Amino acid sequence: MNGWLLAAALLLLVGFAPTVWGAASGPVRRRIMAQNLATLVACLAVLLLAQGYARPSYADLGLVLAVLGPAGTLVYARLLADELAGQPVRDRVARGLDRAMTPLAALAVPLVVVPLCVAAGPGRAMVKLLVIGVLLVGGNIVSSRALSGRRAGEKAGAADE
Amino acid sequence: MSRRIRTWVLLLGGLGVAVLLFAASLDLPEFGGDRHPYGARAVEAALARHTANVVAAVNFDQRAFDTLGEESILFCAALGTVVLLRQTRDEHRVRPEPARVDPPVRRYALVALPVTLLIGLYVVAHGQLSPGGGFQGGVVVATALHLLYIAVDYRALERIRPVGLYATADAAGEAAYLLLGAAGLVAGTAYLANFLPYGTFGTLASGGVVPLLNASVGVEVASGVVVLLASFLDQAVEIEDATEHTASGPARHPTLPPPSEEKPT
Amino acid sequence: MRPMNDVLIVLALALVAAAATAAVLARDPVRQSTVLALLGLALALLFAILQAPDVALSQLAVGSVLTPLMLLLSVRKVRRKGRADGRADDREQETGSAGEGERR
Repeated sequence: MNGWLLAAALLLLVGFAPTVWGAASGPVRRRIMAQNLATLVACLAVLLLAQGYARPSYADLGLVLAVLGPAGTLVYARLLADELAGQPVRDRVARGLDRAMTPLAALAVPLVVVPLCVAAGPGRAMVKLLVIGVLLVGGNIVSSRALSGRRAGEKAGAADE
Repeated sequence: MSRRIRTWVLLLGGLGVAVLLFAASLDLPEFGGDRHPYGARAVEAALARHTANVVAAVNFDQRAFDTLGEESILFCAALGTVVLLRQTRDEHRVRPEPARVDPPVRRYALVALPVTLLIGLYVVAHGQLSPGGGFQGGVVVATALHLLYIAVDYRALERIRPVGLYATADAAGEAAYLLLGAAGLVAGTAYLANFLPYGTFGTLASGGVVPLLNASVGVEVASGVVVLLASFLDQAVEIEDATEHTASGPARHPTLPPPSEEKPT
Repeated sequence: MRPMNDVLIVLALALVAAAATAAVLARDPVRQSTVLALLGLALALLFAILQAPDVALSQLAVGSVLTPLMLLLSVRKVRRKGRADGRADDREQETGSAGEGERR
């Protein structure tokens, strides 16, 4: 039994499966939020798979996903900006995701990346994992912010930087 | 043909495919098994030519001619898009209004752009060593540039994207692949044969022509995607045709359904 | 390792099947595009689990930004043209909820 693969399977089941439902139903905002969460979960799952199969080079998938996932969410935020603006968030799932996304990213990413770093030991693989972790957290904070519909200034204190 | 006959033809065809697929699957190697008649030979050939990523060895060495066809598909697709989506005589350009983007998002994009670019180049350069290669890396590079449209402004993208230059680079990448193949003939072997020294296994300079072909595909794909998206972006953002122009005014189209975002379902 | 791998394969296949079905059932292109993004991710995971990282990387590269961008740009152009509503607006408010209701 391989603990890393088990963790990846659990992540797919409790993390990824609900986002498929979330992206396939409900209003547009909720669908995009589900897509945002799904890229985060998929990236973490890929990292766990790389460790589970003992193939460090598979982590490149995570590296690419860590930058392209948030970029994909920003595509939706940009091109559907007018649909997202205006109306308040009325869908319960969307409101919950809006609030939970940033803490979730800040919590889940270290929870997965730190054990992987310990398993990898110091070296190039560890640096790559840390870079992926930083990109993931930063990207998800920004993409969730772009989706939440909060205008700049309203919650300037919570902004990154 | 009536609907009934068409249904029967469809069923017959489907049945034929099913029978053939089933017959073929009886001869397949066991799923996930240890014995792979083709795989074992491909791995052996890849290792003999010092290419750590066997998929890259198959794509750019053992079956490089197939990849030439695949590369040309994207080239033709970009060409077709440019022809189909060009600005016609009854269309005119309008300057897009600057987009309002949340400052943190803009700052993130400006930081993420070079990082994404670097990751794309890394994927291209390590094609012979780790998963990835010219196609994957090229798409990532092109995506990196479009972060400017996504999170900054279309005019910012236009400033770093002279489409003519990228169209030239697209053709140059395609030509480089063809010429590298012809270089094999000059060197006295076959078209697209691996004629360069194989280098040290596991380093960036290994695999003979594989990294060079990867680089040419990377250039072709990155600029091809940029040109492709440029046509799409121009049509969606800048170009308006005559009807859109003449109908301009405050009156909205009568059949437009009311905005219904966030409707509980 | 072997049974665990089988579990992963079955799980990924089920996710791909679910996302693909949802993509077919969604009628509106905008709503469909989010399902397609999920389908792409599920496919990439499946490829990674089947030890085909090169294919997974291609899927990720194309599916995560390029496909949604081209789809949404096309939708924007078609809607603008369909309305023939002049240069004034990028206010594409329409969500096209027609057809969405049929499904549930």
